[in-house]
Formats: sequence, C-alpha cells, structure tokens
Amino acid sequence: MIQSLNKYKNSFKYYTELRVQENRNIRFGLLNGNLISNDQSIESGVSSRVFKDGDWGFSSNAIITDSSIDKVINSSTDNAIFLNSRNENKCGILLPEDIYNHEFNYSTKKNKNSNSYWISFIKDLDAYIIKKYKQITSRKIFISNLDMEKNLLTSSGAESYSMTPRSLLYMILTVENENEPVELMDVFGGLGQLEDNFDSPDVFYSKIDILVDKLIQKSKGTHAKAGLHDVVLDADLAGILAHEAIGHTTEADLVMGGSVAGDYLNKNVASELVTLIDYANNIDGNICPVPVYVDDEGTKANDVTIIENGILKNFMHNKDSAHELDMKITGNARAYKYSDEPLIRMRNTAIKPGMDKLNDMISSIDNGYYLTRSSNGQADSTSEFMFGVVMGYEIKNGKIQQAIKDTTISGIAFDVLKTVSMISDEMVWSSGGMCGKKQIIPVGMGGPAIKCRLNIGGR
Amino acid sequence: MDLKETLSYAINTLLDKGMDDVEGMINEYEKKELNIEAGKISLLRTTFSNSLRLEAIKDKKQSTISINKLDKQSIDKSLEKLIVNVESSQYDESNDISEYQNPEIFNKGTLKPDLDLMYDRLKNFNSFVKDKYKKVLLEAVTVDHNSSKSYILNSNGVDFNINKGMYGFSSMFTSKDGINTSSFNYTGVEKLNLNKKLNDYGHVSELLRQSEEQVKSFPIKDKFLGEIIVTPHCLTEFISFLDYSISDNALISGTSIYKDKIGEKITNKNFTLTSNPVHEKIDSGYYITSDTYESKNITLIKDGVLKTHLLSLYGANKTGGRRVPNQGGNYMIEGSNSSFENMIKDVKKGVLLCRFSGGSPSDNGDFSGVAKNSYYIENGKVMYPIIETMISGNIAQMFLNIRNISHEKVDFGDCILPWITFDGITIS
Repeated sequence: MIQSLNKYKNSFKYYTELRVQENRNIRFGLLNGNLISNDQSIESGVSSRVFKDGDWGFSSNAIITDSSIDKVINSSTDNAIFLNSRNENKCGILLPEDIYNHEFNYSTKKNKNSNSYWISFIKDLDAYIIKKYKQITSRKIFISNLDMEKNLLTSSGAESYSMTPRSLLYMILTVENENEPVELMDVFGGLGQLEDNFDSPDVFYSKIDILVDKLIQKSKGTHAKAGLHDVVLDADLAGILAHEAIGHTTEADLVMGGSVAGDYLNKNVASELVTLIDYANNIDGNICPVPVYVDDEGTKANDVTIIENGILKNFMHNKDSAHELDMKITGNARAYKYSDEPLIRMRNTAIKPGMDKLNDMISSIDNGYYLTRSSNGQADSTSEFMFGVVMGYEIKNGKIQQAIKDTTISGIAFDVLKTVSMISDEMVWSSGGMCGKKQIIPVGMGGPAIKCRLNIGGR
Repeated sequence: MDLKETLSYAINTLLDKGMDDVEGMINEYEKKELNIEAGKISLLRTTFSNSLRLEAIKDKKQSTISINKLDKQSIDKSLEKLIVNVESSQYDESNDISEYQNPEIFNKGTLKPDLDLMYDRLKNFNSFVKDKYKKVLLEAVTVDHNSSKSYILNSNGVDFNINKGMYGFSSMFTSKDGINTSSFNYTGVEKLNLNKKLNDYGHVSELLRQSEEQVKSFPIKDKFLGEIIVTPHCLTEFISFLDYSISDNALISGTSIYKDKIGEKITNKNFTLTSNPVHEKIDSGYYITSDTYESKNITLIKDGVLKTHLLSLYGANKTGGRRVPNQGGNYMIEGSNSSFENMIKDVKKGVLLCRFSGGSPSDNGDFSGVAKNSYYIENGKVMYPIIETMISGNIAQMFLNIRNISHEKVDFGDCILPWITFDGITIS
C-alpha cells in the first residue's frame, strides 16, 4: 500500500476523493471432511471520484502506479464533465466538507499461523464432531479472513489510513428426522484476524456441544403456528430488526427514494423504551465489530441516533444526501472494493439495552415464541420486513417449551416497534453481518433481547 | 507479455516447480455504468480491472489463488504462495482438472460501449417514468456495459478464449402518494444490445404500473389454503431450490431430497426445465463451466421426471455420479397449457405473487416468507394489492402441485420464464 497520497493532490481539478485499497481474503472449508475450499485472493487498486456541478464521475484501475493514478483522476474528471455536458440542469452545488485525519490498524500483534495450521484447526473440529456425535449426517466447517486496507485523500484535505480485518468460523450441521434433513448453523469471530479470534480448536468444543444440542431439539421441533404472536427476539434477531427493518429505511438515499421514514422525522415511531443507534466505532470505549473512524468521503464517522426514546431523530448520510436534505454529514459513506463508489451504509446498528431481565421477559408471555437465531433478512421502503428464523422455541405459560422448525417472521417495523414492551439489559453483537446494497459490506448488528408482537409464518 | 502469454507463463512455472495439474483463467474487464439516484442521472463510472485465477494440484492436494495484478513480480509472488498452499492442503482423490478439449474462440456482443446511446436510453427512461407514472420514484437505476477478454488454459491442453460485451439495465423504484408508500420493486435484464427502449425490457412498464396502485395495499382477511400464481420475476426464488438440491454441495453432503431421484417424477408431468447457457435465445449465458468444460444446454426435468444432477467434475468424482457440462442457470420452462388471463380466471382464492421476500428454504423444501408487490385473487379476479401477507409451504410439493403454466414469458436475457400456478399454499 502507498503510505501517502498527498503528491497526487496537484492533479485534482475539482472536488476529488482518491482511494487506494487492498482486500485480502483467505477461506478454508470442509464438507463432510473433504477440503472443498482452500482459496486465497488479493484484490487491490486505485479509484478516484470527482464531483462537479451536481454530477459525479468515478474511475478505477487495478494498477497502482503514478501514471495509473493520474489516469483514474483524469478519467473520473472526464466522466463528471461528460455528465455536465449532457445535464441541462447543472448547477454550482457545493458539497458539505469535513477535514479529518485518522489512522488505525487492527492487524494482529501475534505471529501469523500458516494455512496448514488453519486447515488442521477445522479438521480438529470436524474430528471432534465425528467422534462425539454419530447422529450428525452432514458437517460443513468454514474459516475465513477478510482484511480491508484503505488509504484515502480528499481535495478538502481529509486523509485516512485504515486496516480493518474480520475473521469468521462457520459450522453448519445436519441431522435427519424421519428421513428429512434438518440443519442448523452457528458463526463465531468478528473484528480481528484469525489469530486474534481463534486461539485453539478445543475452545470451540463446548460451542459445538451447544450447537448439536439445539439441532437435536430443532429436529424434533414443531411447526410454528402462523399468525400474530407475542415474541421475545434474542439479540441476533433484535440486531437484524435494527439493521434491516429500521436501519435501511433511514439511510438518506432510500429516504430520497421514497422510504416511509421520510414522513416520520421527529414523529413517534416506536415505544418510548426504544433508542436505536448506528454506532460509528465504539460504545463507552468498547470497540464495535466494524469500527469506522473516517468514511470513504473523508468525513469523521459519528454515532447516529436514529430513534431516541421512540422518536425518529436522524437519517444516515453521505455528503450528497446531507446537502440535498440540508442535514449534517454523519460519516456513513462506505465502499467495499477499490472499484466501488461509496454508498450510504450502516456501521454498527443496535437498539440500546434496557432494564429488563431476559427470564422475566419470557415469563411474561402466556402463549408465544422465543426466537434466537436468524438466517437472512430483507427490508422494504414501507418498513415491512422479513427475517428467516432457524432456531426458536414455543413459550407457554411463561416457560420455554418445544423447539420450532425453520420459519419466517414479518411485520411493519414502525408498527412492531410500538409494541415493544420490554428490553433486556444485555448487549450482544452478532458475528458475521454482511449487508447487500449494490455492493456487499461488513456490518455490525446486535443489541439486547426485545419483547414485541409480530407475524410468524408457519402452518 | 499479452494476456495469454501471461497465463501460459504462470501455468508453465507451476508445472516446472513440480505441480501435477494446473488450470488458470486470466481476464481483462472494462465497465461503463450510468446511474440514476433519486430520479436524477448522477454518476458515470468507468472501471478497468484484471484478474488471474490459478488452481494447482500436486499428489491430489489442491489449492487456488486469485490476484488482480498481472506484473511478473506479483505473479511470481502468488505462484510461491499457491505452491505452499497446495503442499499444506489435504489429499483428495477427487481433485482433478478437465481433460483436453478442442481449442475454441467465443465472441459475443460488442466490446465497445455506445455511451451516448446508454445515456439517451437512460434519460428517456427517466422521462418516461416521470411523465407516465407520476407517483413512482426511481430510487436507483443503472445502465451498464461490461466487456471482457478471457483466456482459459490448463496443463491438459485446454485452450479457450472468450471475448464478450454485454449491456445491463436494472431499475429499483417505489411509489408515493402523500404519506402512502408502496413496497419497492425492481427488475433487471442483461442484453447484447440496447435496441429497444428500456421500458420495453423485462416487463418493467407493468411493474411500474403496479407500483403506483400498490401505494394503497391491504392485508388479506383470513388465513387459507389456496393457490399462488408466481410471476416470472420471482420464479427463480423457487427454481433455485431445485438447482441447489441437484448440485454439488447438497449431493456431496447427502442433504439433497433428490439424491436418489434420477429417473423419477419430482414435479408435475407438464413441467420441463432446461438450462441453456449457449441457447441462441439466451443473451447472457456462459461458454465455459467453472470446472472448465465447454458448456452445453441440458434438460434437467423432462415431463416431471428428473433427468440428471448438476454435478461438476469434483462432485462427480466425489459422489460417483455423472458430470455434466452445465452449472445451471439460464433457465427456460416448457409445458405451457394456458394464457395468463385464463390462469387468473382459474384461481378461486389465492395470490398473484409478484415478489417474494423469504428465508432460505430448508433442505426438505419447507419455506415461508412475505408476498411483496402482490395481489389477492378471488373467484377468477385480481381484487386488490396486499400487504403484511405471508405464504408458506413446501417447494418440492409445490412443483408436484403445478396447475397451470402460461405461454406468455418474460425474457430477462439470462433466462426466459413464464407465470406458473401452484396449489396447496398456506396464505396468512
């Protein structure tokens, strides 16, 4: 990576962002003991984005040399000028500016292990499962690491260097029940390289025991009853609710695209128990799963309090949307690859913990569900959401009962949040959040457990 | 060195250093992309990129590496890493590369985009929507052109060259009327040219019309067991379960419900599913499979009977099944027995499912999710757009319970799909 981009500043003619970036991936995977994935990739390059008279030009190149950098600056400038030449309504818009310089590097301080070590690591876990659990009919174990290293310079004078790694361990196990496969997955890890998150395989034996126990419960589970129910959403689902159902509707580009949240600013959208924040990098000094200090437009990343005590307070912005809606920039512009333009993206989105105990929340439900793990989720401009639920339990008379089979939950988020009646006092981040919106990008999701009322699919 | 020489150098170096089998693909890409955001053409993107992917096997131990730098120093460094990774890998008798095939050069589309045409088409689409669908907000629209030159070589003498240029169009939109908001909807196509206006592709005009009337949607009144007519825009959500269940992962893991079903009936007898990567009607197919075989069109399900699994070379070696020169996708469906209009008339109580937002189906096919941008049907008539409506059932059972397949179809460039009526769905 080039350490300073300052020497290219003289090539900037208009507002310009210049970014050099390298993404490094490694991934090892076992399927029933077969090493089906032993892959490594390195992707790097330079990009430039230019803003002139209301139009953006972007260009990128995989080659990082003085001449290629000049070429992308010129090409992005030419692209902005092309749009200017065709745009009948061009105007001299000036974007909000922020000059912030920051460097951070979350590379491991430990000695790096070889690839063979990590293959042995997952083979050890596989061997543990085979030896202890004969009833497991299929085993998938993957371990991966993504390093995102970025160097940014803007014509406003903002500069940043960041190295943000994330490493994850996935375990997906299957049993058969009445000749039908039943599957359950868990994922571990988060911020940091493999050496920081995965000390030794035996640390994960107890987690495998828990996963198998839940899988067997699920294999004997019942179908959830379709309809509206009282539920407790554990942190995994409360996190995806915060991200998918509320977070996306309050991204300012989606607000400008018609999201219902645009009509709700400063209005009551949730129970007064609910405060929902997109954290930039830390909570009371504890680093979040995806810390962002400076975004990819050179703006200082600030926490965004989206909902405060039930009132919708803010949207998440890039420079363009902050200008359009006459609001403050928030530092939410992020790009996944060097060849991607920054988009408005969440960082670490969660409901703020409350005062309740999880056990009291479960005890308060006569007939409902305790839902603990999600698979995927989707949001909508109406705030109607859908999450896949792959682990959960019936609650009857305040007690956890039988596990349920895979199901789906849905609702109108701003209606569901008004039904929130209890919020637990613990904060748990989920591992492995990856959000898709033109580009994929790592995100942090999590929070406390919440009690609310929503629609469950089923039979 | 040119692209092919660079790839040959990498392969020969790996062989010289003791690898038994080596395979590689080298690419040079260029993308031009015009974007509408919040109703305004706001961004022109140009990206230039390269990629080099190498797979090496020694003593049946395998690894891959991908880089996007093509200078000698970067390649030499990656070769060293790859050799270390191969040596630290695991013996697997099933690791192999494709055998010799006749060299081929494939050309498709134009490598040079017509930027002025792209701009004009996008501008006209923007004006068309603003003039005709005043409640619609175009959230994100892109028109792009992707060109690539690729070489695929291996140590068994495989030598393919692909030169390809494709246009893409995607549109995502929402409608607003006062404080009433529709669900967003989207569609996209990949085509060899932009000969038509953008509003004539992928049935987008109909989706825009529907979007406007969906600003006022209503929940259905009660839970019932009924029929759904799945539109071409969300049919792949359900076909992908069939695709997944007959492919490597599900078959190697043994979790596929179709693992022992070749030659048996798995869908209604009127249903025939083909995968057509090199069909003349498919603009966006693939010439070479990921295990480096020249692609062939194949029939997966014929008159309801499963004809083949979709096993790669590795999957076939691992399971003892038959490898096919096809990796799925590019679907076309035969068996039409009705017009769309008559399909609506045949539904007593059900849903016209225009978009589906659901969790990943279970390995046994159980699924549930939300019916988006969809309509309630009663006594043969489309009644009203719906909201907060869930559908659930079992996909394997759904395909056995097909009632009608339309003869109208939508061409997305990468597949051509009809409307299908499925029975026995829980709607709540």
